Amino acid sequence: MQFILSGIAIGSIYGLIAMALAITFYVTRTINFAQGQLMMVTVMLTAMLSAAGTPVWLAMIIGLVSSCILGVLSYLIAIRPILQVNRFSFGWLVSTLGFAVILENGAALIWGPTSRSFPQMLISYRVPIGNAVLNGQQVLAIVVAIVLTIAFEVVRRRTFFGKLGMATAVDPDMAEAIGANTTVVAIVAFIVSALFAGIAGLLVGPTTFANPYLGSTFGTFGFIAMMIGGGTEKPVAAMFGGLILGVCAEGANALINSQASDWFPFLVLVIILIISPRGLFSSSSPLMRLRRPPAAKA
Amino acid sequence: MTDKSATTTPTVSSGIKRGRLNLLFLAIAVLGYIVFTIYVSHSNLHIQSLVLVAAVFGILAISLDMAVGMLGLYSLGQGGFFAIGAYLTTILNARYGWNIFALLPLTIIASGLIGAAVGAASLRVSGLYFAITTFIFTLVLTVVATNMQQITGGLQGMLGPAFPRLPSSFSWVGTPVVWCVLGVLFLCMALVWNIRRSPFYPVLLSIRDAEPYAEAAGVPVSTIKVAFFGLSAAMAGVAGWLFSFLGVVSPGEFDWAVSLNVLVMVLIGGVNTTLGPVIGAVFVSMFPNLVNINPWLQEILYGALSILAVTMMPGGAVGAVRKVLQRMSAGGDNHDEDVLAEAEKAAEETVEAASSIPDHAGEGHEIVVECKGIGFGYGVGPKVLHNIDLAVRRGDIHGLIGPNGSGKSTLANVISGRLSPHEGQVLVKGQQVAGLAPISRARLGFRRTFQAAQLVHELSVAENTMVGLYDHVPNIELRSPLWPLLPSARRDGRKMQRDARDALSLVGAAHWGGRSVGDVPHGIEQLTQLASVCVAGPDIIVLDEPATGLSAKEVHHLAEILASLKQRGVTMIIIEHQTRFLFPLCDRVTVLNAGEVILTGSADEVRADPIVRQVYLGE
Repeated sequence: MQFILSGIAIGSIYGLIAMALAITFYVTRTINFAQGQLMMVTVMLTAMLSAAGTPVWLAMIIGLVSSCILGVLSYLIAIRPILQVNRFSFGWLVSTLGFAVILENGAALIWGPTSRSFPQMLISYRVPIGNAVLNGQQVLAIVVAIVLTIAFEVVRRRTFFGKLGMATAVDPDMAEAIGANTTVVAIVAFIVSALFAGIAGLLVGPTTFANPYLGSTFGTFGFIAMMIGGGTEKPVAAMFGGLILGVCAEGANALINSQASDWFPFLVLVIILIISPRGLFSSSSPLMRLRRPPAAKA
Repeated sequence: MTDKSATTTPTVSSGIKRGRLNLLFLAIAVLGYIVFTIYVSHSNLHIQSLVLVAAVFGILAISLDMAVGMLGLYSLGQGGFFAIGAYLTTILNARYGWNIFALLPLTIIASGLIGAAVGAASLRVSGLYFAITTFIFTLVLTVVATNMQQITGGLQGMLGPAFPRLPSSFSWVGTPVVWCVLGVLFLCMALVWNIRRSPFYPVLLSIRDAEPYAEAAGVPVSTIKVAFFGLSAAMAGVAGWLFSFLGVVSPGEFDWAVSLNVLVMVLIGGVNTTLGPVIGAVFVSMFPNLVNINPWLQEILYGALSILAVTMMPGGAVGAVRKVLQRMSAGGDNHDEDVLAEAEKAAEETVEAASSIPDHAGEGHEIVVECKGIGFGYGVGPKVLHNIDLAVRRGDIHGLIGPNGSGKSTLANVISGRLSPHEGQVLVKGQQVAGLAPISRARLGFRRTFQAAQLVHELSVAENTMVGLYDHVPNIELRSPLWPLLPSARRDGRKMQRDARDALSLVGAAHWGGRSVGDVPHGIEQLTQLASVCVAGPDIIVLDEPATGLSAKEVHHLAEILASLKQRGVTMIIIEHQTRFLFPLCDRVTVLNAGEVILTGSADEVRADPIVRQVYLGE
């Protein structure tokens, strides 16, 4: 019980980062390898500003805004120039990683490679659920993840802008032809995605403290979560992937041994990809094939 | 390739002179390489370790470029195969005392097989998903290496085996490991150099850029992809084998960042070039020593440089140099205006008889292609073909007409094997082929063209035509690593070039042979497609809208070509909208509407039929 709940809590964090990866992938068909580093920037800035005496809420807002700005920059510098030459080029594999390297080492250069303290927020509250106990921060993570996921899905399906995003995802040339400004759509997607990553950072900061190398760890887990869930097709699936990953990791620690979370999630990932190469909740998944095919949409 | 495309009609003597000059350059380059190796093998440890690490990554980058450049498979698994080679060598040597030279073939086989397995598993998904799956492969291997501490030494890793010393009487040779590493690098460069000069290279690029085209020419696409990826993995394994002699083998040396760095090397140096990956590897691996500043600043600079390299120079260093050289040699003269005039001239050219294309005339008049009760639908949508019956007799030109969306192209794809029918049978020369891959039809002398020409744009017209000969020359793929060295291969290569030239002159595009397809007008693309079909000497051809986008003159020319093919006894199924072009050629015409056969008959019968006039001619 304890491991399921704490798994869901950490899984919501992975899920938020996975969704951040999935949202930009959805619109531009690229993976922003700097996503984890965007989260790290939020964490580092918030830690630094609050340590310098800025109110925590202001520090958090500044942290989020700066990760959004960097997110947009990563698009303009590392992704857009490549897609403009050839929409199907894979150069972004290299350039987004280059951007991640710059952010990570820039942070290490400015703040030093050691961990700093992070505002405590809700971590000292204890919330007993059944026979398990979560801290306030974990509960907050779950609640925030649920709210953001629902909000994202409502915006994607119900608003005009969400539909514009879908159109851009399916065929950017066509979307452009009917008058959509795909650059604006992409920039908004990168802002939203950086917000998701930054919020994930704020939620996990009190537990992990602020460290320049936070980004690569969480970036990798977010990526795995996205692949488990099949977030490359539907951003929401990435959130479920995160939850599964979280429960698997915590469960492995609780049931196998304390080191098992280092390798068990990877085993799960490999098995899932062998069964369904595009993730558990993708349309090619055997799980989905069990459902009757939906009536042909006109 | 560039040297061939520069001149349209090279004289024989200048060709030979150029060949000799190239040979001289090659000899100088090899000699320089040997001198360099001698120098390094006698220099101090610092220089040696710099060069050797660069060389090992050079091999790794070449192996990645084989997958990325020649097949378009963006593999991020190269670090994984590299790790397999290094760990296998280190573990079996340290724990079981195996001889390192005995381990080399084992490394090659093991990493090659694992590569083929990963390739086969990842090829279910294409493009980006291939990159992601191979990325995960590397990720998982690093995790395994970190966590299986009893075997791999965990995060600390293990010290690699020492390279054996030579007896003291051989001390003049210098450090033996230098010879070994640089020798292997040389062999790897020679391997890709040879492949690029073999007829297998156009085949590989056609798999990369125009898979349906390769398939229709009888190329076993997935087998080649898996095997070639296995070869690339084996080469990465060899790089790992060499790496184990250079120091400590630990998970950090092989994590996914390494795989991405190798991709950086390939992209910086130049994708799909022989020298590019090595240049990139030298630059990236020596970078820390070149700048020699604060490690964080150095990483930041590296990140910025890799972004700049991929955004500013899509062709990499080699591509940039080539562009400059081209501009210098071209001297600014632009031949674009002449191209269209030349295309018109091609259309006027008379159709020549070419000796090498087999003649099927007088082989009877039996039914060679037959469809029985074909039904087909895409996905969950409505059925596109209903109970189609079609019989084509040998030596006939059979027209297939019908309004847009009547299922003509779908039927052509079913007949030629790109789609398999949900019900019914397709018989080619009496053999049931429905549901079999296009290769099975290619073996029966069946070829097809595509509505939108599927060709490799960076190759010349002649090289594209040669893809059509794939299944006429034995063991192209096995001989390709040594191609220019084998007399039999050189002989076959010359024959292929001759055949391609004959086929091109048959369709009246002979003097376009040297141009790259990216530079030729649409009409010539269509003719190239036709030539690559004719070159194989098929007796059945399916043509999907061959006259689309051609000028009136070109259409007339095409009709002449098809008529001359018919004289050679070639059976043709032609899908076409331009009835004025089609009807005079056809022996029989079948009219489709809404996925059903309305009528089959002679052109005159079809023209006279009231229902056809109503649904198709709109009267």
